[in-house]
Amino acid sequence: MDISGVDIIRAASLLGAGLAMGFGAIGPGIGEGYAAGRACEAIGRNPKEAGMLTRTMILGQAISESTGIYALVVALLLIFVV
Amino acid sequence: MALEVEILVKGAAYIGAGFSVGLGAVGAGIGEGYTAGFATQAISYQPEKTGDVLKNMLIGQALAESAGIFALVIAMLLVLMDFGSTTMTAVALAGAGICMGFGAMGPGIGAGFPAGMACEGIGRQPGAGGSITNTMLIGSAICQTSAIYSMVIALMLMFLDFSSRAFNPNAAALFGAALSTGMAAIGSGIGEGMSAGGAIRTIARQPDSTGRATANMLVAQAVAETPAIFGLLISLIMMFKVYPDSHTIIIAASLLGAGFSMGLGGIGPGIGSGMAGEFALDWFGRSEDTSGLLTRTMLVGQAISQSTAIYAMVIALVLIFVI
Amino acid sequence: MDELTHISQWIFTIGGLKIVLNSATLIHTWLIMGVLILFGLLAGRRTKFLPNPLQSIAELLVTTFDNLVKDATELDDRRYFPLICGLFMFLLLSNIWGIIPTFVEPTRDLNTPLGLGILGFVVAHYTGIKFKGLKGYLSMYFEPIAFMLPLNIISELAKVVSISFRLYGNIIGGSIIIIVVSSLVYSLVLPPLLNGFFGLFVGAIQAFVFTMLTLVYISYQMK
Repeated sequence: MDISGVDIIRAASLLGAGLAMGFGAIGPGIGEGYAAGRACEAIGRNPKEAGMLTRTMILGQAISESTGIYALVVALLLIFVV
Repeated sequence: MALEVEILVKGAAYIGAGFSVGLGAVGAGIGEGYTAGFATQAISYQPEKTGDVLKNMLIGQALAESAGIFALVIAMLLVLMDFGSTTMTAVALAGAGICMGFGAMGPGIGAGFPAGMACEGIGRQPGAGGSITNTMLIGSAICQTSAIYSMVIALMLMFLDFSSRAFNPNAAALFGAALSTGMAAIGSGIGEGMSAGGAIRTIARQPDSTGRATANMLVAQAVAETPAIFGLLISLIMMFKVYPDSHTIIIAASLLGAGFSMGLGGIGPGIGSGMAGEFALDWFGRSEDTSGLLTRTMLVGQAISQSTAIYAMVIALVLIFVI
Repeated sequence: MDELTHISQWIFTIGGLKIVLNSATLIHTWLIMGVLILFGLLAGRRTKFLPNPLQSIAELLVTTFDNLVKDATELDDRRYFPLICGLFMFLLLSNIWGIIPTFVEPTRDLNTPLGLGILGFVVAHYTGIKFKGLKGYLSMYFEPIAFMLPLNIISELAKVVSISFRLYGNIIGGSIIIIVVSSLVYSLVLPPLLNGFFGLFVGAIQAFVFTMLTLVYISYQMK
């Protein structure tokens, strides 16, 4: 089985895409879950403010998603553009 | 030095066995230790309840042990049984061991949470002992389902015959399948355990809320199980799709990448969903009218925190089907 | 292992277009719909004060989901109640359907969960447009900063994928595990136990989770 240089680069980029999205999903997953948890606790303490609290939770989660999106973009770049 | 294939297969089986029982021991050790810690704390607060607390500690530790036992069984099978002798088998056996190892780690750690909270709860409210123990049993048992998925994938890798397939991409497909379920089960196992722990804390505080808390614990655990389910799906796709022979390492690398993507990608969202469930269930019993609101917020939060698992699954599917 | 990858299909061509229908899924979906319609007719007719079993089940379902829908949507009329209750009943029966020998759950085919997920998505966004007007609905995508537009669009699509794949994965994962374990271990106890766990227990919970998430997405668009 001949492995040429071009092959190695392509193979490395595909493996790298997998690793990028894999590791990149860990952080936002834990962080957004923690935010959701604390939001539930806050609603438990103060049910009247539920609307505001839910909106804040979703806002916070959307921002913590950003590094996950970066990982997705890099993974797609590695698969399709490189 | 020409390696005979039998030696390769044996070597791979032994390495797989090492990973299996080694990583499985990590989970059970951490979970059972956590339980024991809370048990001693509960006894220190209420020495006269020692009997009840000890009983629950032992039951909880036995449940946390069960994922470790699955790993032990797979390891013994790998060490003692005679498998075929193709290089494909070698890769499959190593993969089986790694899959079971990772898959037993998460649920082992996770099962420590309900057991620990149960000991603490019984120390505080011995009257609720029956419902606490019941919910602990249910919560821990569901927590072990991720370990069961890993064990099924490991058994399939060990006993199904893959030798008729071409080695080059298909070996990577099998290893990727092992990584996918094995690692994704870590997150789900820990997460489901955390949710169960929260439910038990609530029941200990308000024993009348047992029914509602248990029902919502099941819902939270079902949603926290999702990353492991995605991992299982990707594994099954990779195991049953037969690739034609290839002369490059590109397809093999993309399949390995798919395995890493879904496997690692399941860890974070699983833990996160579990945390969301834990906090939500913790506040469940305090008032009856907010329980609907809490359930809805918990579900939304869990669903959003799983979006990175979706991205990981999409990348894995792209790597499997588009390359 | 062949049962795993076998999909029975009807393939025919109409005027140059090749049409492929998954026959098992379609037949069983119609069967389930027939059973549900029959249940509705029998349970709703001649309601007595002391209900018969069918009526009790119907009352349980109706009151539970009425409360859930009223709680979530904060509306007085029962606009979304039929959709949500019907969705739950269909999913519950579909997930359990596989317990009957030689029957195939419709939710085992990716088309069914994906179709229901898209249904929920369309209803939710239509609700958003109706309640907030087109401008209000579109401005939701730019919250809180205009920069978040692609993230918001992606997260809306991810919602559909997540609920559909969660349901599909649970059902097909369960059935594959049952088949694999049954082929590895010949016993009388294990397969029915597994079938009971995955089919009844997991199926019921997943039906409830899918329904609740659809309800939550719809009610979220109302605010």
